[in-house]
Amino acid sequence: MKNALNAVGKYFKDFGTALAKGDIGVKLSAVLMGAGYFARKQVINGIIMCLVEVLFAVLCIGYAAPNLAKFGTLGTVQFEQVFDPLTMTSTVNDYDNSFLILLNSIISLFIIFVFILFYISNMKAVYRLQLKKENGEHINTFPEDLRMMFNEKFHITLLTLPAIGIIIMNILPILVFAVAFTNYDQQHMPPNALFTWVGWTNFKNLFTSSVTVTFGYSFKKVLVWTLEWAVFATFTTYIGGILMAKFINDKRTKLPKLWRTLFIIAIAVPQFVTLLLVRSFFADNGIVNTFCNSIGFTGFLKNIGLVPSNLSYIPFLTNPGWAKVMIILINIWIGIPYQMLVATGVLMNIPEDQIESARIDGANPLQIFIKITMPYVLFVTGPSLITDFVKNINNFNVIYLLTQDVFVTSDQLLANSNAKEIDLLVTWLFRLTNEYYNYKMASVIGIIVFIICAAFTLVTFTRTIKGDKEEEFQ
Amino acid sequence: MKKKVLATLLAAAMTAGALAGCGGGAAETPAQQPAAETPAAETPAAEETPVAEVASAPDDAISNLIAATTGPVDLTVWASEEDQDLTNKLLDQFKALYSDVTFNITLGAESESTAKDTVLTDVEAAADVYAFADDQINDLVQAGALQEVVANYTYDVAGENVAGAVEAAGVGGKLYAYPMTADNGYFMFYDSSVFSDSDVQSLEKMIEVADAAGKKIAMDISNGWYIYAFFQGAGLELTLNADGTNTCTWNAAGGTDVAQAIIDLTASNVLVDMGDEDMATQIAEGNVVACVNGTWRAETAAEAWGDNYAATKLPTFKAGGKDCQMSSYSGYKLIGVNPHSKNIGWAMLLAEYLTNEDSQKARFEARGLGPANSAAAASDAVQSNPAIAALAEQAAYATPQRVGGNFWSPAETLGQILASGNPDGTDLQELLDTTVEGITAPIE
Amino acid sequence: MKKTIKFVIRHLVLLFLSIVWLIPILWLFVTSFSGYKGINTSHFFPETWTLDNYAQLFLRSDSIVQYPRWFWNTFVIASFSCLISTILVLMVAYTMSKLRFTGRKGLMSFAIILNMFPGVLSMIAIYFILKTMGLTNSHLGMIIVYSAGAGLGYLICKGFMDTISISLSEAARLEGASEAKIFWSVIIPLSKPIIVYTVINAFLAPWADFVFAKLMLNSGVATDWTVAIGLFNMLGKSMINKYFSVFCAGGVIIAIPISALFVIMQKFYVEGITGGSVKG
Repeated sequence: MKNALNAVGKYFKDFGTALAKGDIGVKLSAVLMGAGYFARKQVINGIIMCLVEVLFAVLCIGYAAPNLAKFGTLGTVQFEQVFDPLTMTSTVNDYDNSFLILLNSIISLFIIFVFILFYISNMKAVYRLQLKKENGEHINTFPEDLRMMFNEKFHITLLTLPAIGIIIMNILPILVFAVAFTNYDQQHMPPNALFTWVGWTNFKNLFTSSVTVTFGYSFKKVLVWTLEWAVFATFTTYIGGILMAKFINDKRTKLPKLWRTLFIIAIAVPQFVTLLLVRSFFADNGIVNTFCNSIGFTGFLKNIGLVPSNLSYIPFLTNPGWAKVMIILINIWIGIPYQMLVATGVLMNIPEDQIESARIDGANPLQIFIKITMPYVLFVTGPSLITDFVKNINNFNVIYLLTQDVFVTSDQLLANSNAKEIDLLVTWLFRLTNEYYNYKMASVIGIIVFIICAAFTLVTFTRTIKGDKEEEFQ
Repeated sequence: MKKKVLATLLAAAMTAGALAGCGGGAAETPAQQPAAETPAAETPAAEETPVAEVASAPDDAISNLIAATTGPVDLTVWASEEDQDLTNKLLDQFKALYSDVTFNITLGAESESTAKDTVLTDVEAAADVYAFADDQINDLVQAGALQEVVANYTYDVAGENVAGAVEAAGVGGKLYAYPMTADNGYFMFYDSSVFSDSDVQSLEKMIEVADAAGKKIAMDISNGWYIYAFFQGAGLELTLNADGTNTCTWNAAGGTDVAQAIIDLTASNVLVDMGDEDMATQIAEGNVVACVNGTWRAETAAEAWGDNYAATKLPTFKAGGKDCQMSSYSGYKLIGVNPHSKNIGWAMLLAEYLTNEDSQKARFEARGLGPANSAAAASDAVQSNPAIAALAEQAAYATPQRVGGNFWSPAETLGQILASGNPDGTDLQELLDTTVEGITAPIE
Repeated sequence: MKKTIKFVIRHLVLLFLSIVWLIPILWLFVTSFSGYKGINTSHFFPETWTLDNYAQLFLRSDSIVQYPRWFWNTFVIASFSCLISTILVLMVAYTMSKLRFTGRKGLMSFAIILNMFPGVLSMIAIYFILKTMGLTNSHLGMIIVYSAGAGLGYLICKGFMDTISISLSEAARLEGASEAKIFWSVIIPLSKPIIVYTVINAFLAPWADFVFAKLMLNSGVATDWTVAIGLFNMLGKSMINKYFSVFCAGGVIIAIPISALFVIMQKFYVEGITGGSVKG
């Protein structure tokens, strides 16, 4: 943390130095970005920098300024349309679209931010050129600069394209979560209506429960189940996968490849197909229920009180308790083959000598598994376990596809805020946007999900990244 | 009964207003007519407008439009999956009708029941002309996804359709859509080899008979749309306020009787809570011999029960010792025009074409859908269709669907709890109080 | 004797497990030949057998079912997005694994956290960003959706590249090869298993995604759709009773190429994923 602060400090200090100690060319660069290059006869670099500056200016005037001007209010002109019955045409006024203003403003701010960084680096680069010149060092020609992009600065070349993609697909959309601070919901939907900033109100609503607005109550319940689910889903498939891999790859198992292939077939059908299929399979009037009924299993469950007496079927996916168990079981069904594939590879690399020596010492297979195999596998796959955990927090498909249109909550307080017992934070968020257009609350939940996931990831990955084990094998 | 009279009056007033709107709108020449001006507001002036003028002015508008159209006209139409073939045919006829103009009409599939979800995500990207169920009209109007029908060009929308349909296509006294069918409500289907005519008068009797036969009666109780039938039937109220919230008296005196009645009715395990899609299978399998459902299940039922296929109004049920006639929502399918359409004039003409008398007749002949057009609905073929006849019978007890978005989740959960026998044993009054709190929750 | 019993039990357990795993798949398969179009709830096997569902998929395209078109659309989207994603992933993975520059670790942590952010949350924003670029309802837009952010998923690939000995690139450097050349002719050829792993994963995504596809391709016109939306649509309320067995047939058809891909690539897959996750 301190390092980071120092780095930022140094960054601005260097900029100050450049501005103070630079010669006329460098100082001119503060206004005309290419000036410093022209002074060192790097004409092409100079022209490129000037072009960038002009482009930025055009963007500012034509795009950023009109949007940022309305950023404070998110628009004031309501959509109005006039239809003329005689010509059968309609005219629309020059209205404000709050969402587009928000989106464009965020993009503008992002561009300005990037430009400022670019501008500062440019000043420093120009100053470095001056120093080089003063020290009589060689100053690169343009072709030499280009060549550097494939050598010393190859990382810049390689990262540019991925970075652009990531900015469009990940960073900008995340910034749009500023919607959490607005009143964007079904009553305020652009283009027909405007929405505006409301500060922290939505966050307050999420953590408090009044009689009618039960977001606080639902949030607690959904969060608890999300975490429970993530723990169960991750560990059951993880351990199941290892056990199955061990079982199949055992020397005493004949035809391991055939068995493995059989399990892989189950994951070769796309998840949405299998999940929707399984939903019909376990429906209240589905085939499993018909079967259970005919062999008397339903009656047995009724007798021991696992199925309410007024039902003639097993509520696999319609009763909260049953549904939670079924969802975890079905997830095991889907997840184990994947984990088995991973574990197969890991198990192949287990140092045989350790196992041999343990065997000579008289350890039984179970002891070997617990004392040697598991620690090794855990060590190797530990980080991916955390990744899986976070992925499960956001496991939209399993929950949504298995319960959508089937599960009805029987908790009235949950119902009042459109949540269900089996909802994860993501599925709740998805339904809030998709069915109830409650974008503001969905954004608040989105931010919270992000914080939870980021916390988990940071804790584990700083260890792996900082641990500097990456050079070990090189 | 009083309420019904009032509704009829309202509908009549609306019809007059909309009628006037079309006359007034077309007669008015200045282009700067504000959209906010309601047709009802023009009523006094328009009442004196002779009908002949109403008919001639629109023709001018259409010829103006044809003259003003230079390039090909791009239009997107959404119709439900089942309606594709018919709509394609109607589109061809429409193109032939205006043969001077080149059309590029794209037909997309979007179910009437889910149109709102797709339209509201991005109104500007939605189709120019789309079909939807009338329960979505409030949300669609609020989101600015429906062009107000300020003028008619080829037929009188408000006058030629039945009053209920016109009422359903309006919000706040303005007409926003073109009625397409008048059959989206629900009633009782039954197998007449199991139930006699007198059996189907009372739900208790039906349960007794079905129990004896070892069969089930299905109803989607855990669904706000259907559970309404019980509470409304017992005289408890649910209405929509101007600000989009609901007023609901389900927890008033008598409410617990209804709740208890639902628990008792389902306790027998003969009346079962079942989703719509499941019903189709269960009817076909022969397990379900009667169900509360709508015309869209008529085909399945007719196929499964053959000559014994029958339909009638909903039965009565006993609440607090009284027999109450189950109410229902009357439902309509409508066609709307997207105000963001680039060719709004053509979109309106197309919407009119898809809902005119001939198209509605064709829709009945092709798919058995009950017309909203009064003339088409009066034909013998329509009248003798059992499902549509049952709807007509139920119409006396049906109310138009006017309810705010906060109704659905709490009502669905109430149904779920009652149909599963109130497993937590919550005090019924408390249960209803919580439900009503949810239903009437304010909208910030 | 004891050994034989153990042997038999072991294989019986495996047999039982494979039955559990394959029953739904078998149901999918047999239902795809069912003469009854809705969900059969009383019999596992269809009462009447027919190939009609397949015929409907391939021969009778209408405005609801356009299976050959969907298949082609998905194939095109999947091919391009898999090409682009693989290139992006390799670029990032190589940079993070083999090049040293200031801010590298910071970038890595940043990318990992960003990657944890689930797509479902930012869907609407992405939709409007693409809409301003005029890319909704186009296959180009879908390709961007599936591939643009791929660089974030570099971690496993980087882990694999970490295991490639640095001496190889050192040697090439001594011979005067540029960094670009080392990337292209030393590291890439050695990364075959992880490339295969990345390619398969990237290729499969568009076949399975319906959430994004449904939002982006919202014209309602069946010929624009991908297989996933088309099939998902068949299970809508008004469709399921007429299209369930057609849906199953569609599911079987996509499962065939994907299973083939999995079985053939199994070896690479295992090598790639373990090479990568050994280091995490």
